[in-house]
This record gives sequence, structure tokens and C-alpha cells, in this order.
Amino acid sequence: MVGPSRQRTPNPHLGAYYGIVASAFVSLAILLALAEQLGWSDGSIARLMMLLPLAFYLVIAGASRTLDIEDFFASGRRVPPVYNALVLAAITVGGTGFFAYTGAIFFLGFDALAIGLGWTCGLLLASVLFVPYLRRAGAYTLPAFLGQRFQSREARIAAGAMLIAPTALLLAAEMKIAAAVFAIFMPLPFWLAVLLIALFVAAAGILGGMRSLTWSGSAEFIAGAIGLAVPLIVVSVLLTHLPAPQFTYGEMFGSLQGAETAAGMSPVGPGEIVPVLPETTPLQAGKPFLQSFGTITRTGFFAIFLCIALGTAALPTLLSRSGVTCSVADQRRSTAWALALVALFAITAPSLAAFAKILMFRDMALVPTEGLPAWLSVLSQLQLAQARDVNGDGVIAAGELFVMRDGVALALPILAELPYVLTALMAAAGLAIALAATGSHLFTLGTGLAEDIYGVIDVRPIELPRLMVVWAAIAACALVAAVFLLVAEVDALRSALTAFAFAGATFFPILLLAIWWPRCTAWGALASLGTGFGILFLCLTVGGFFGIAETATGICAASLMAGVLALGAGVAASLYGPAATPSDAAYFEAMRRPDGETLFDQAQARATAAEQRANEE
Amino acid sequence: MAEPVTEIENAARDRHQLRTLAVAITTTSAVLCAVTVAVIYAMPLNRLWFLHFPLGFYLLAQGLLIFAIVVAFWYVRVQERIDHTRSINEEIA
Repeated sequence: MVGPSRQRTPNPHLGAYYGIVASAFVSLAILLALAEQLGWSDGSIARLMMLLPLAFYLVIAGASRTLDIEDFFASGRRVPPVYNALVLAAITVGGTGFFAYTGAIFFLGFDALAIGLGWTCGLLLASVLFVPYLRRAGAYTLPAFLGQRFQSREARIAAGAMLIAPTALLLAAEMKIAAAVFAIFMPLPFWLAVLLIALFVAAAGILGGMRSLTWSGSAEFIAGAIGLAVPLIVVSVLLTHLPAPQFTYGEMFGSLQGAETAAGMSPVGPGEIVPVLPETTPLQAGKPFLQSFGTITRTGFFAIFLCIALGTAALPTLLSRSGVTCSVADQRRSTAWALALVALFAITAPSLAAFAKILMFRDMALVPTEGLPAWLSVLSQLQLAQARDVNGDGVIAAGELFVMRDGVALALPILAELPYVLTALMAAAGLAIALAATGSHLFTLGTGLAEDIYGVIDVRPIELPRLMVVWAAIAACALVAAVFLLVAEVDALRSALTAFAFAGATFFPILLLAIWWPRCTAWGALASLGTGFGILFLCLTVGGFFGIAETATGICAASLMAGVLALGAGVAASLYGPAATPSDAAYFEAMRRPDGETLFDQAQARATAAEQRANEE
Repeated sequence: MAEPVTEIENAARDRHQLRTLAVAITTTSAVLCAVTVAVIYAMPLNRLWFLHFPLGFYLLAQGLLIFAIVVAFWYVRVQERIDHTRSINEEIA
């Protein structure tokens, strides 16, 4: 049996490699821009802009292939903080953030800011409360950490089973987004796009596990950041003459309010966020951008913020990356960098939505039906927007323009009448971020099933079968997710919100108790996990009969209530059940030491030494 | 000789855990309180303008996010110093 690698030196050439990745992506965009001027068709440009980076990501994943256990599950514990931060940010934002969040801001304006704020504060909570201690513990998965902390197979299996809900929901959401973009620009039937995306992410996960996902995910994040920044900066220069959209879109609020008023938008009354959640059909944009608390109440805003913050802090996919850096201090720095990147995206997203809204409604303010702008026909062809003269008065008002929520980011370069290559660049960027997130969620789900459920029941001390079980689980999960997407209508934003609600209600309370309260026991862990998950599950399944958890605010409120009860259940079961054992207390103390080898690796080294001694005897 | 060393180690550990807890509470409560205040007073703050943005909107769209970044890196720095102090104390012990 091969012992865990002790080499902790990151590759010194990583900066050069990723400089090449960034240069290659930029060069491809420039070459395709030249090709567009030479008369290449839009279809060829879009296909090359999608497929060449995809092939590149796959090559990186293939080059990172491994059969070493530590590399497969923890990327060798030698990922530099910034590279881990790139993948953490891609997982947090994902394709859902890239497309659905920007769309939600387009429709809801101020009221949707709770989501971006929740992600950022969630990463801060994770950084302060959980991540350093999980790095010190060194478990490969979140349920494995709980199993080690409480020395309880039951707690590990229960956590493994409950991890399925949030991870599978996020997997479905991200895969849906990736497949939808791929289907639009390739162009392909949706079912084929879903299968190809499932095949791609399963291949990346199977080839090298966490190692492949780290290095291909870093490349995907860089492509995503460049692809988002370039079209947005161009639009910003066109509209405000400055290349800093985050700080200049405020200057356009006067124009935006004028366009909204001319298009017939008026302040809406307190209602619900629900009209924006189902995105199967194009929606009307009826709420002014700057109106505060128009579609949700102040309490609803805070509930959504807190639910997403707690869900992000306890998201199994993010926390499973807590063991990949060289030290506890590096892991802390890594999470801080991830927070900075996510915050930068959250600061940028409203500018994208505001520019899109200005461009759309400036041109659409009571336009006669015969004189519709050229971009509308392009958006209609891509099924991103359509105008219908509903009342037959011969003009199109705001209420007669129907826009796909998840297509707002893609619509921006078209609305600004930029070269087609920038639309393809934006699509390739969103696809890259969605693929990075999809791969990580798939890996977390597959390892959760293989390691924390099957692995606990059927322990085999041979390396290859252990990896083969994980490969099989990843492949099976990818297939099931693809089939699910083909038979079910999935709204990415609603799925993601429900996933964060599950993560917050199920895992936040027990992680808080396990890491910060030495008295917490396995009984407390089981009670907390069961209460949080069970109450939220009941609210989501039968709560509809009683008007509970039907809307986004309702789901978030139910998650917060379940989380509070789970915390209480964990405390009560720990206090009134069997006391913590001395080994539980010793593990707790060891976990809080800031230096030294991870506890998991120490245990592995002891087991290897004992095995060697037994063989010698 | 072993008992005094253990006592010194325990004292260093307890001091480390207390300071870690204090920093964690300070960090999280600072950000959560700032968000709560910004949400409660968003509408009155929107009557003021900052960098061409209504102030309530600016705080929720940018200001609090920048504050969270600053707090996160401040936390990293302070916690590293706390960990370093514990390591030195244990080495002395």
C-alpha cells in the first residue's frame, strides 16, 4: 500500500502555465474576431469558441490524471491558495450565478442583491468558522470529517445520505445551465447537449478526481473571468466612456429611470420573488431597477441573504476542498481570496444587468411594431427574448417584451450591437464557469456515495477497487443527473436556492457544534442532522398544503427555522445523551491546533507503520 | 518537571482558543451587524447619493462586499498572528 505523499511543494511553473492558458484564450478570441471580419459565419465562430476551450480543459484534466489516493481526493494537499480560490469562486458563483443571478437582477434590481451578498458573507463565515479546522482534520469529504470527529459510522452515513439533496440539486442546476448554453450555440438538441456535458464532467472527474478538477477548474475560471470582463468593459466604454463598469453604471441611472418610465414601468407593491423563479417561459420586466423592497419585504430580503450565507458556509462541495492546500494558514488565505473573487463578481453583476436594461428599454420605449430594433430579431432567433403586441395598440411597451431570465448575460453584447465573437465569448465564459461548478458538484456527490455510504459499509483495504467505486459512482451520478434533466423541468435558480437552504439547515448547525463545542457528541450530531434535514424536507414536500415554503422567501424562512431547531436538537441530545468520550475530546483539541500534519494523514501514517511492523514480524 | 510544562501548554492553548473565539465573534458579528443595519435603513439611505448611486443601493451592491473583503483579510492576518504566538509559547514551554 502506498503511503500518503509528503511532498508539499507546489509546482513553481504554475504561473507560467496559467499565463499560457489565459493568453491562449485571449488569442483564440482575437483570431475569431479577425475571422468574423473575414466573413466567417456566426455558427463557425460560436462552435470554435465553445469547442476549442472545451478540448483544452479536457487535455488539462487528462494531463492531471492520477491513481494516487491523496492526489485523487485532495489534489496532493499542495495547491497554492490562489488557485484553490479560483475553483472555490467558480463553485460558489457557478453558471447559476453567471446567468440566473444576472437575470434576477435584471428583473428585480435592488431586491436580488441579497443573493450576491449572501454568497460573499457565506464565504466569510466558512473562512472563520469551519475551513481552518477542516483543513487541520484533513478528511476527504464532509461526512468523513463528521465520522472522524465523533468516531461514529452512523453519523458519517447519515451525513453522506443528507449530502445528496443539496449537491444533487446544484448539480442539476449547473448541468442545466451548461447544457442550455451549449445547445443554443452549437446548435444541438437539448438532450444531446445534456449527454455531452454529462460525459465531459464525468470524464474530468474520473480521470484525476480533485486534482483534475483543480487544474481544469482554474483554467475554466480564468476563461470565465476574461469572457465576462471583455464584453462588459466594451459596453461600459460605449455607454460611459470608462472601462470600469462596476463604478460607472451609477451614472446611467438617470437614463435607466427615464427608459423605464417611458416603457411604462411603475413601482410595484410588496409581493413575492416567485414570478422570477420559474424561467421556463420568457418574463415581463415590470419592476424599476432601483426600487427597494418592491417584490419582497425587508424581512424576506434578510431571510434570503441569511439562508444563502449559511448555505454557502456549509456547502459540502466547497468544504470538501478544505484539505487541498499546504497548510491551515494557506487554506484560510485561499478562502479569503475566493471571497474577494466572488465579491468582485457580485459587484460586477448589477452593472451587467443595468446596462442590458438600459440598452433594451432605451430602444423599446413605445416602439411601433413595424419598427422594432434589429437586436430583437437576433434575440428571438436565439429564443432569449420576444415582443408581442398583446393589446394590439401598435406599440410595444415594457409589459409586452418577454425576456428569458437566464439569457440576459448573453443578450448584452447583442443589445449593444457588438461583433458576434463577443456574444460567443460571453457564452464560452458562462459555460466554463458552469462546467467547473458541475464537475465539482458531481465529484462531491460521487465521493459522498462511494466513500461515505458504500465505503463505510464495505471497507476494502486495496487501493484500486476504492477508486473504481468512486469512478462508478461519478459515472452513475452523471447519468442519473442527465436523465433527470431530460424528464424534469428544472429551474436553475430555484434549485440552487433550495440546495443552499438544505446545506444551511442540515450542515451549518452540526458543523458549528462539532468545531466550536467540545461537549457535542455523536448523538447530538445525529439529532442535529436529522432535525435540520427532516424539517426542511417536510416543509418542502407537504408544506405546500399549508402555504409554507412555496416561494423563495418561504423556502429560506423554512431553512432558517430548521437550522435553529437543528442547533437546539444537537445541543439537547449532547447534553442529555451519553457524554463525549475522552477520545472525542482529544480529537477536538488536536483539531484546533493550528500547525502540523493533518489528523487524517497522521492516522494514515500510524496505520501504515503498524502494517509494516506486522509484516516484518 | 512534566506538570509545569503541561500547565504552560494548557495555558497557551486556552489563551489561543479564547483569542480565536474573540476574533471569530468580532469578524462575523461586524459583517452581520453591518448587513442588518444596511437592510433596515436602506430606504432612508437611498435618499442620499454616493458616487452617483443611492447610498442604500450602493451599500448592498458594493459597500458591504468591499467591507467583507477587508474584514476577511484582516481576520487572516490577525489569526495568523494568534497561531504564531501559540507556536512560540509552546516552543518555549
